[in-house]
Amino acid sequence: MACAAVLATACSREAREVGVTPPQTPPVGNEDPRIAAYQDNLYQVSEGGRYFAWYGCSGCHSETPNNVVNLADSQWRYGFGFAQVYGAIAARHGRFAYGKRVPVEQLWQLTAYVRDLSSHFPEKRRRVNADQKAEPVGGSWQGPQ
Amino acid sequence: MRRVPILLAALLLGGCDGIQSVMSPAGDGAAALHDLLLLSVAVCGAIYLLVMGGLGWSLWRRRAETVSEPASEEPALDRSLWVAAAVILAGLTILIIGSFLADQALFATRGSEALQLRVTGHQYWWRIEYRDPATGRWIETANELHLPQGRTARVALGSADVIHSFWVPNVAGKIDMVPGRRNLIDLTPRRLGWFRGQCSEYCGTQHAHMAFDVKVDSPAVFDAWLMAQARPANAVAGPVAARGASVFAGPCAACHAVRGTGAGGRAGPDLTHFASRRSIAAGTLPMTRGNVQAWITQPQALKPGVPMPAVPLSPQDADAVAHYLATLR
Amino acid sequence: MTPDPRLEEEISRTWRDPPGLWGFIATVDHKRIAARYIVTALLLMFLAGMLAIDMRWQLTVPENTRMTPQLYNESFSLHGSTMLYLVSVPVMEAMAFWLVPLMLGARNMAFPRLGAFSYWLYLGGVLTLWIAHAMDITPDLGWFEYPPLAGPAYSPGHRADIWAQMITFTEVAALCASVNVAATILKMRPPGMTLARMPVFLWAMLIASIMTILSMPAIMLVTSMLIADRMVSTHFFSPGAGGDVILFQHLFWFFGHPEVYIIFIPATGFVSSIVETFSRRRLFGHSVLVLSIISIGALAFGLWVHHMFAVGLPRLGNDFYTAASMAIALPAGLQIFCWIATMWSGRPRFDTPMLWVIAFVLTFVIGGLSGIMTASAALDLQLTDTYFIVAHFHYVLVGGALFPLFGAFCYWYPKATGRMMSERWGKIALVGIVGGFNLGFFPMHLLGLMGMPRRVYTYPTGMGWDTLNQIATAGSVISVLGGLVFVANALLSYWRGAPSGADPWQGSTLEWASASPAPPWNFDYTPVVHSLTPMWDESRPLPVMDGLANDHREVLITSVTDAAPLYRQKSASPSIWPIVAALAVTIMFIASIFTPWAVPLGSVLIGAALTGWFWPPRPRAKQGPLGTGA
Repeated sequence: MACAAVLATACSREAREVGVTPPQTPPVGNEDPRIAAYQDNLYQVSEGGRYFAWYGCSGCHSETPNNVVNLADSQWRYGFGFAQVYGAIAARHGRFAYGKRVPVEQLWQLTAYVRDLSSHFPEKRRRVNADQKAEPVGGSWQGPQ
Repeated sequence: MRRVPILLAALLLGGCDGIQSVMSPAGDGAAALHDLLLLSVAVCGAIYLLVMGGLGWSLWRRRAETVSEPASEEPALDRSLWVAAAVILAGLTILIIGSFLADQALFATRGSEALQLRVTGHQYWWRIEYRDPATGRWIETANELHLPQGRTARVALGSADVIHSFWVPNVAGKIDMVPGRRNLIDLTPRRLGWFRGQCSEYCGTQHAHMAFDVKVDSPAVFDAWLMAQARPANAVAGPVAARGASVFAGPCAACHAVRGTGAGGRAGPDLTHFASRRSIAAGTLPMTRGNVQAWITQPQALKPGVPMPAVPLSPQDADAVAHYLATLR
Repeated sequence: MTPDPRLEEEISRTWRDPPGLWGFIATVDHKRIAARYIVTALLLMFLAGMLAIDMRWQLTVPENTRMTPQLYNESFSLHGSTMLYLVSVPVMEAMAFWLVPLMLGARNMAFPRLGAFSYWLYLGGVLTLWIAHAMDITPDLGWFEYPPLAGPAYSPGHRADIWAQMITFTEVAALCASVNVAATILKMRPPGMTLARMPVFLWAMLIASIMTILSMPAIMLVTSMLIADRMVSTHFFSPGAGGDVILFQHLFWFFGHPEVYIIFIPATGFVSSIVETFSRRRLFGHSVLVLSIISIGALAFGLWVHHMFAVGLPRLGNDFYTAASMAIALPAGLQIFCWIATMWSGRPRFDTPMLWVIAFVLTFVIGGLSGIMTASAALDLQLTDTYFIVAHFHYVLVGGALFPLFGAFCYWYPKATGRMMSERWGKIALVGIVGGFNLGFFPMHLLGLMGMPRRVYTYPTGMGWDTLNQIATAGSVISVLGGLVFVANALLSYWRGAPSGADPWQGSTLEWASASPAPPWNFDYTPVVHSLTPMWDESRPLPVMDGLANDHREVLITSVTDAAPLYRQKSASPSIWPIVAALAVTIMFIASIFTPWAVPLGSVLIGAALTGWFWPPRPRAKQGPLGTGA
């Protein structure tokens, strides 16, 4: 029974829903039932990781010494709940105004990614970043790998 | 009745002369390989006929004649074995020499003066940069490659994420775009017109829709095109376009660049001269107003899995953005 | 020597399996294990064929939205992985398992429990992949999963790891099976069967086994490196961290190229056996055939770069790998010559197995010639990663391996079951399969030349590819229908086929000397061999040697070159340890998809299983130099 339960949850973590209608509104509190489809889904979290670079987040938030805030250090200024982190991204970045510039679905993915960051070993984060070294970061691009 | 075979041939072989065809060479590399293809088909076809002839004769033979001792035929078969070996070796030698010569032809333009390009593969689009010989700056565009007829373009190929492959069959063979490597390919087109290239190394969900248009122009037309591409975007004209530009500056500018405006995102294709292109979404759809608007509002419906997000826009905003993009000639 | 009933009774008691479920699980009878392998592989072939029909249906019209790209990508990955790792190689191993002891006059294989173990491990690999598919976490990165697409950044989750561990299962199983086959062929031949008197079939199986042993470690290594990259953050294939993407390709194809010859060479063994029997004369050019197989086996290890001609490797290698890839046509071509020469100077009979051989020649030669075209490093730049290659490899794999396999199936079916398959339905199935296959795949050569790349879930309108794709779909459907007729024939003949007797085809090799179906112990006495075609020699009854014990399981071990009898070896009895060990290995492999700690902890479990397996059954010696004296 335990195996079946593990297997059943394992499936949904690996699910890859491509092209399905995304959420159109921000999360309603930290218990919004739509959260699981993002937070517990490896594909959505990894998509959040890609947008993290493309929207320029990794320009300021990385584990290099000159970053602004290290998001992997489990210190949450505005709270760890899904809606709280979502709000921090969308509304607490001052002039960057990510809530207006980043579509809702991508904000969900970014939130899921950010909340997932501290659960990985630093080697894994470095390894993933090494593979994504040639991806554009916001308005800058270093050239192909 | 006579038209049926012609019709059939046209239906079956309609792609032979196509814009993405190995059999319709329009460039030096493709021409050398086409010659090798014809040689190979000839040699291999001849060998196949020989084998089929031998098989057919063997099976037919014993039906008519009386049975004779197999042992008495051994010397004849032994001699034939040597002949068969010689024929195989001769055929292989011809093909190996042909291959060697074609290989030489493909690299013949190395060391000569060439137009410099840099093409980078992304999931699932092409970043194309031309080096302006006068200033040394890189002129960036996306998803549509223009080449001058008769001049060699040396393309440096790289990848921003996974392995892709750059292939314009009418002009040259393919070369992979491998992260961590810089591969070079020389393209020397000889025929004017439109061609099509496509990614040829499985690169993810939308590998099937990662294509690009290739236009071969006369050198004068090409130079004019390149100069136009180097210029910043046209000024915004009209209230609808202005509304479109202001909507664009929000979600779109985060990933797309339009030189001359504040939009400077590098994550997606450069849109400075978007409206001058023939197709959108890396060769997925023809450039029409309706397609552009559909693409802006529902990219995931047209190319599911593409990294471009579905930005929620009101119909008026979407129309305004499409209108604005249409001015980016 | 005529066997007497008391002897039969005694041998039967010694060699028969325990009844019921226990016998099913614990059997070490090579024929039952091989039958399991073949049934599993044929079932998987059917499933892979259904995936293929689904994909072909998707490609029938341009811009088809019936299948999502995710589903299509999973389909071609699953189809390729299943056919290459779970069907082609295992079914050839299975035919070796089944036939090698019979053709050697031996009572079982060299390592009976290892044979059982390799099946259970193979089944573990099958279940790993297909249960994942049932749970909708199918790997979707192709049958080779190149990084960085397969790295942790671009393939989140465990799909890629499931694929990589499935490989580990099947490769360990293949290694075990190959060691078994090679040892049996080298050390258990009947007296008088020197290497010079060994039939071509056994040479083929021997060379294929040695190739497996030499090439499998490369793929086990590379998939383990990929899992390590994904799980414990090594950087083997991460250029941004100092690794090299191309390293994966080199290691993969170092295995990948020999693998396709591992699939093809046993098929040459089938063809040799069938051509000899149905031409009713000894094979022409025995030495040439054997030397060709050996040289194909050796050359196959020097060609792998031809899968990487478009990668941008230094030009210096192009001509070498082109020449080497083309050179392999020489031994292959000489083999074809020898088979045709045998038919030419023999008296061919056109029963179904022979018709399959003719279909093989017609089809495989096209595949071989398209391979010669792609062997050119230059021309390959236009052909690789297009439908031309899809056509090429299907022609060589289906034409060169599956058609001989179907022929072999029809040929040895009477030996396995004691019944004949229906000739009429066999011919109908053949026409459907062969005609459908050629109709389906020949157009793909043209599609590739017209610019259609591989692994695309749809294509644009107006490219001129529509009609040829439709013809390809029609041909594939016809081929699958033919396949269903073939399977129906096989199933129905099991109960309703005409009784065959021991030697329905007047075969030349020793397996036809045993009864049909062969009893668990295969032969009452050990045959003594004086020629390449012992069943066609004048002397009747067959000369045999007695001396193997009948009250306990024993096999005869002979020397490698001269097959002189050396000693009698105890042969393993039915045992639970193979399945227990396979379960332990399965637990370790599956758990290591999720955590690296599975490796040390799982090893403890495997160690326990192996301890049980190898626990010495002999009592301690009471006399002799090591005796305890008491």
